[in-house]
Amino acid sequence: MAHEWQPQFEQLVDEHQSMVFSLALRMTGDRGLAEEIAQDVFLEMDRHLGRIESAEHARFWLRRVTMSRSADALRRRRVRFFDLFVEIEEHHGAAAEERSSPLGARLEHLLTTLPEAQRAVLVLRYQEDLTPEEIAATLEAPLATVKSNLQRGLKLLRAKAEGSLKEFIRKKEWVREL
Amino acid sequence: MSFEPTEEFEQELQQALERRPAPPSLKRRLMERRGRGREPRRWPVAWERLAASLALFAVLAGAAAWDLHEREQRRQGEAARQQVLTALRITGHALDQMNDQLAARGRGEE
Repeated sequence: MAHEWQPQFEQLVDEHQSMVFSLALRMTGDRGLAEEIAQDVFLEMDRHLGRIESAEHARFWLRRVTMSRSADALRRRRVRFFDLFVEIEEHHGAAAEERSSPLGARLEHLLTTLPEAQRAVLVLRYQEDLTPEEIAATLEAPLATVKSNLQRGLKLLRAKAEGSLKEFIRKKEWVREL
Repeated sequence: MSFEPTEEFEQELQQALERRPAPPSLKRRLMERRGRGREPRRWPVAWERLAASLALFAVLAGAAAWDLHEREQRRQGEAARQQVLTALRITGHALDQMNDQLAARGRGEE
């Protein structure tokens, strides 16, 4: 089917590289691997550019393929929880600490310790601001599963955060009282 | 200690998960890889063409030899079959003659 939208590859890279890289980074916890996945995703898009019909379709396609390639990469590497944790400390944690909010950095770090399915829906919900319906379409998963993973993931992350951030919250409240 | 209300926690999470800028090397490496993928295909050099031709010739010659061998086998088989049929025909003819002679002798004795 002919369509009017004629995207420039370089322009699409400029526009979406941050999204693709961030999704891959938060799914894998490895900057090098995330960069590699992002390159592969864009090269794949270059081969399928003729079939992409609109800017919205490009964004949807990039999100879907990035999540899929990240899951493939994790499966290939069979990263165990401990390995991932250590890796995040080495690669991801350091960068996260450069951010202004220590609470944000801690949350981002804790997110990477969640099960993959829960991590995926939380990243799409809170990084990409997608609705559960959009997440279901992106991950090609049933809506009920997405909603369940969202609830469970949020609950688990909150529990982890409350456990590890007591000191931070106490300080925050103390500052507020002042 | 807990986050109250839930929206506060979700807001914190949303802020924590802001998109990260991609490393500058990403686009550069990507464009390099894309450029490499679009380079015109290199034509094979003379020795590669010669080796490919020899391999092709060897395959074709082998196939032809095998076909010839198969045909010869079939021809020999057919000749043997014809010989057996001829022998059977001769034997049948001799038996018929003998049968006729025996029948004639029987009639004479009567």
